[in-house]
Amino acid sequence: MTKDKNVIEVEGRVVECLRSAMFTVELENGHQVLAHISGKMRKHYIKIYLEDRVLVELPPYDLTRGRIVFRYRN
Amino acid sequence: MNTKPFPSGLSENAVMITRVADRQWHALEDDLVVGRGYAEHRADGRLFVGIDAWHDATFDRLAEAMLAQLPTPLFTLVDEADVELTAGWRRAGFTIGRREWEYVVPTDPRITGLDDVLPPSGVSIVPAGQADESLLRAVDRAIRDEVEAAAGWWQSMPAEVIARPEGDTVVDPSKYGVAAAPDRYLGLIRVVRVNRPRIGLIAVRAGEQRRGIARTLLAHALGTLHRSGSAAAWAEVHESNRAATALFEGIGARPVSSNLELVR
Repeated sequence: MTKDKNVIEVEGRVVECLRSAMFTVELENGHQVLAHISGKMRKHYIKIYLEDRVLVELPPYDLTRGRIVFRYRN
Repeated sequence: MNTKPFPSGLSENAVMITRVADRQWHALEDDLVVGRGYAEHRADGRLFVGIDAWHDATFDRLAEAMLAQLPTPLFTLVDEADVELTAGWRRAGFTIGRREWEYVVPTDPRITGLDDVLPPSGVSIVPAGQADESLLRAVDRAIRDEVEAAAGWWQSMPAEVIARPEGDTVVDPSKYGVAAAPDRYLGLIRVVRVNRPRIGLIAVRAGEQRRGIARTLLAHALGTLHRSGSAAAWAEVHESNRAATALFEGIGARPVSSNLELVR
């Protein structure tokens, strides 16, 4: 049986929009990660902007990177 | 379920590609998911694929497995600034099908120069939420038929990604402002405000273009946004749509990013 949830999901806030379609997201614990948008969000034309509240997946082996998987309504 | 091992370069353990559902794939390493791929039909019937992986090697193997099992043509979307992801899809044989520019549109009439725009003779603006629904649906259908006969691409517009009931292209009439003649509607504009104002659609009947109706609709919509405190709106414009490009750039809108639709 596979474990699909071998990622950490945390809420955060977009504090910087970078080049290369990357974002700096400040997590609830104050840490910052470099994140990109998930394929499903891209497919549905969901845009990410400064100050957006988002849900970020982090790989367990590299907590400095992330993938934005959900954007909350402000 | 079919499974295919391959060396990932991430560790000494092989990564396995597994098709876990009809249109969903997992890349597994040590029984953990290290990448996901999926395919979905959009409302226009086209099949879009996506891959989320932390490493290029995993991306490439997921792409290889998916493309071998899916029919063509296949489509995907990338932000053009995302060089890494775009390169991944190019390695998989995808090429650019279309490009859309994302514009930031100012709302302040002092910037747009739209403060003194008046509707052409015989035309009035009906604000969002006050349009007659049957006339709105009629003008929406007429414009789509005209676009389909000319440019032929409205069904693949970004705004059409949401599945709708058969034949229904106006999901929420309250989002539309219209330009009205005494007996019918001539054009429409749809503005949606989820987090930020987005101009989802602006269009005018073919026989009524070049009268300033689109500019009037924009003046109305942007003025409304400005009075409610929004400094900017967002809009996507197909790069081949010169009329829309001229309209937006003529009021001070500036492109901030571009989306590529890739096809294989």
